[in-house]
Amino acid sequence: MSDHTTSVVDVRDLVIEFDTPRGRSRVVDEVSFSVSPGEVLGILGESGSGKTMSTQALLGLIDGYPGVMGGQIDLTFQGERHSLLSELPHFLFEKRGQLEKQERGWRKHRFKAMASLWGRGATAIFQNPRRSLDPLMTVGQQVLESITAREAHKPDDTKLNKEAQSIEALEWLERVKMVNPKRVFGSYPHELSGGMCQRAMIAVALACKPSVLIADEPTTGLDATVRAQVVHLLQDLIRDERCAMLYITHDIREMLYLADRVIVMRHGKVLERVSTEDLKDRSSERHPYTRTLLEAAGMIGGDNE
Amino acid sequence: MNQEAASQKSVTSSSLHDHRPAERSPLMTWIGWVVSKLARGLSLLIGSSFIIYTVLRSAPGDMVDLILGLNGTPEMKADLRAEFGLDLSLVEGYLGWASRALTGDLGISITFMPGEPVLELAGPAFLVTLGIAIVSLFMSIAVAYGLAIFLGPPRPRQTLLLGPIQLLNAAPSFVVAICLAKLINELIQFQLAGGGQIPPSWYPIPTYQRLSDSIAPFVFAALSISLGDGLFTDLFNALRSELNNLSNSLFINAVRAKGASVRPHLVKNLIVPTLSIFTARLPLVLSAVVIVEYIFTLDGSGYLLLQAAKNRDVPVVVGVSLFFILAVIVMNLILDLVKALVDPREVAKGE
Amino acid sequence: MSKIKVSKIKVIKIWRASSLSFQLSSLVVFAVFLCGLVNPLISYDPVLDVDLSRRDLAPSLSFVMGTDGQGRSVGLRLLKGVEAFFFPGLIAGFFAALIGGGLGAICGYLGGWVGRSIAAILELIDTLPRMVFLVLICTIYPPSILLIAMISCLLFIPSIATVVRRKVESLGAEDYILAHVAHGFHPLKIISYHILWLQCRALLTRQLIFVFSYVLFIETALSYLGDYGVQEPYPSWGNMVAQSRISVAAWPWAIPAVAIIVTIAALLAFGDGIARRDEEVKR
Ligand SMILES: Nc1ncnc2c1ncn2[C@@H]1O[C@H](COP(=O)(O)OP(=O)(O)OP(=O)(O)O)[C@@H](O)[C@H]1O
Ligand SMILES: [Mg+2]
Repeated sequence: MSDHTTSVVDVRDLVIEFDTPRGRSRVVDEVSFSVSPGEVLGILGESGSGKTMSTQALLGLIDGYPGVMGGQIDLTFQGERHSLLSELPHFLFEKRGQLEKQERGWRKHRFKAMASLWGRGATAIFQNPRRSLDPLMTVGQQVLESITAREAHKPDDTKLNKEAQSIEALEWLERVKMVNPKRVFGSYPHELSGGMCQRAMIAVALACKPSVLIADEPTTGLDATVRAQVVHLLQDLIRDERCAMLYITHDIREMLYLADRVIVMRHGKVLERVSTEDLKDRSSERHPYTRTLLEAAGMIGGDNE
Repeated sequence: MNQEAASQKSVTSSSLHDHRPAERSPLMTWIGWVVSKLARGLSLLIGSSFIIYTVLRSAPGDMVDLILGLNGTPEMKADLRAEFGLDLSLVEGYLGWASRALTGDLGISITFMPGEPVLELAGPAFLVTLGIAIVSLFMSIAVAYGLAIFLGPPRPRQTLLLGPIQLLNAAPSFVVAICLAKLINELIQFQLAGGGQIPPSWYPIPTYQRLSDSIAPFVFAALSISLGDGLFTDLFNALRSELNNLSNSLFINAVRAKGASVRPHLVKNLIVPTLSIFTARLPLVLSAVVIVEYIFTLDGSGYLLLQAAKNRDVPVVVGVSLFFILAVIVMNLILDLVKALVDPREVAKGE
Repeated sequence: MSKIKVSKIKVIKIWRASSLSFQLSSLVVFAVFLCGLVNPLISYDPVLDVDLSRRDLAPSLSFVMGTDGQGRSVGLRLLKGVEAFFFPGLIAGFFAALIGGGLGAICGYLGGWVGRSIAAILELIDTLPRMVFLVLICTIYPPSILLIAMISCLLFIPSIATVVRRKVESLGAEDYILAHVAHGFHPLKIISYHILWLQCRALLTRQLIFVFSYVLFIETALSYLGDYGVQEPYPSWGNMVAQSRISVAAWPWAIPAVAIIVTIAALLAFGDGIARRDEEVKR
């Protein structure tokens, strides 16, 4: 584990719960992880294991009651440490033997706390690209919005002007390998295919130049060549901007290529933490579940390779 | 904005290969859409005016006698027969009548304002009606939005507060109008009793035979329409759930996550559902205007309609009805157009 | 004997399980229904009821709701006013549900152009503001409540047909309807029993109630105007509200106004409650 002083993201004992018709269910159970600048933390796990939830908690964007119920999240941005959940206990109260949350108050507080962090501090490539784009705005405008939001915080003399911003937006669309960036710039999301939406979403997120990027299955739904290009793009970003990344994918090969360390999740718990080197090493001891995952992907136990 | 996107597309689409199925150029899509909407409006106009004409022709006994009563002269009767094509077959009669109506010849008033051309009676009156309808729709929207934003997502304790709003769902606009009028009259009476001054100019009630010389009656009429008949409740409920769904939706969260302002996205995405409610509600609002105008004695076409009906002045009643239908169709066209300008998917999905 | 007992328990169970608004609204609906049924038994002479010596009396023990400007009992007139919309409303609602449901089921079952033409007619009828159309009809035909009820029924048939058609279309894809077809049941039986009765009865009841409340609304509105609906001296809630134009006291017009609002609210909530219960049971 990297030590707490150098990490940009530090999550400890995160607990997320939801009320369901069958009572309260804990979907993230005391999860801890941390990431340093320029590092990629891979998160592996089956569907429904709580990968999306534990990363979205960083952005304070979990909806559904009650959501985050405990733990600590520290986010370092521009040398300043933001403790996102420090106020949480004030919004919790007990009712009929169960812990409840003042949802409205918490939501307000959370949005206020996150306002300066969203975008440049931390942002995400969301899992469902088609639903993550505003259907009534052109893709170009949406990328442009990221840039404008980013530039708004800069001092006036270093700010990019409107024209430079649009040029940059177009560049981002080129960088995510859109076939026809100019056309895509003026297109609406419903006019694009799923893979194009995904790339647009990646452009929107990368244009923020965040210090922490959550990439939630960014390559699912892309064809193999574009997949490789996107992975390289993310790699460039990490190298150039020293951005920390939380990388979620079901593709283990991609994970091994990109991630420095990997955590394996199941049923809301972290089962194992390994460095990629260890994971590649077929002879080492593995948690049985990790073994199954690797086997399923043909990484170990198979006759070839 | 759409035009911008459209021109951009048309410039580049030829230069690069396209792996998606061939599509019509955006301009053609737009023209096709507008033409299909216009055609639909026209067919609605023909259909509903035909219904009206059929109703006219189906009158029991001789319609001319019915209208003119006993004191009609033979040539007046002949005029009326010609006007409505009573001696022709249904379709022929309709065609003649409709083509004359198209040129603005809606006949002349018989009993209500003898000799006046219907067009000159109904036209100006209809502007008043349209004004009231539009103002009341906007009033309703404004208050509903305000309240929905103020209240936020539904919570258990709000039911007490929202009970009266749900009750408004059941209040016919004419009852609301009467209650409102009575209330304000009481207030003024009370004031007069105290100070003994002359009545203020916003005295709204026709009970005392003051004809409207201020805009107050218009405002009160619009207010009672916007509250009554469930207009406000419907809008409020719909907007509230829409607002909640939106503010929790994935793409709004995505906008938040990039650090941009959420408001423009919310506003834009609320326009379409709001306009859809407008479209669905318009005939009901116009129905309500008829009776509310009567209560506040505003000389709009609702008042005209009722007065003419009382005098069995068929040409005027028919002419005013045509105006109402035309208004619904034209307003729907305009609303559809605005919707399409905001939401490109409307055009893409076509009819 | 035991059968009655069981059904009694069931009713109590349903009552306990339903929401407060459903309980309240069903009470009101029940009261109005009762009023409507006992109405023909009550003899009321609006002329004999006039007594100028007791004008505008406040509510008291002898006149529970006070008296109006001509000394007539507001309570009695309110009760008698139910007659104006009760049977017309029921008839209109019943026929609208019957014809609309039948048409919708046939269209949904057969599909194709019948469905499309109904949709077209629906759009046509939605273009005509209902009030305007009713006034037009009342100018050309001699106005009566029955005529108004008939026209209301007619105006609602297409919308009911559409609702039922959608439902049937969604059902038609389900396997068990196909199974019935395969079993060789007569289509008429499938439509009338399996589709309309088993699947759409709550939906149709709700529509019936809705049409009933519309007839109540339109009757009171037209009676308020005075030329088309129930005319003085005969009572209707609408022309009682019109007392506001001449009455000094508030109750002669405020009580029927409240009655209109409460009854319509109860009817709407009752219809919604029935539809919701039905959905819950099916789940
Ligand atoms: N709003 C909610 N209400 C109730 N349960 C929820 C809600 N959102 C998520 N869950 C539950 O939380 C669990 C974890 O969901 P999460 O989205 O984190 O899974 P995931 O690991 O990202 O899966 P995938 O690989 O399919 O994306 C799931 O079991 C899901 O059912
Ligand atoms: Mg996920």
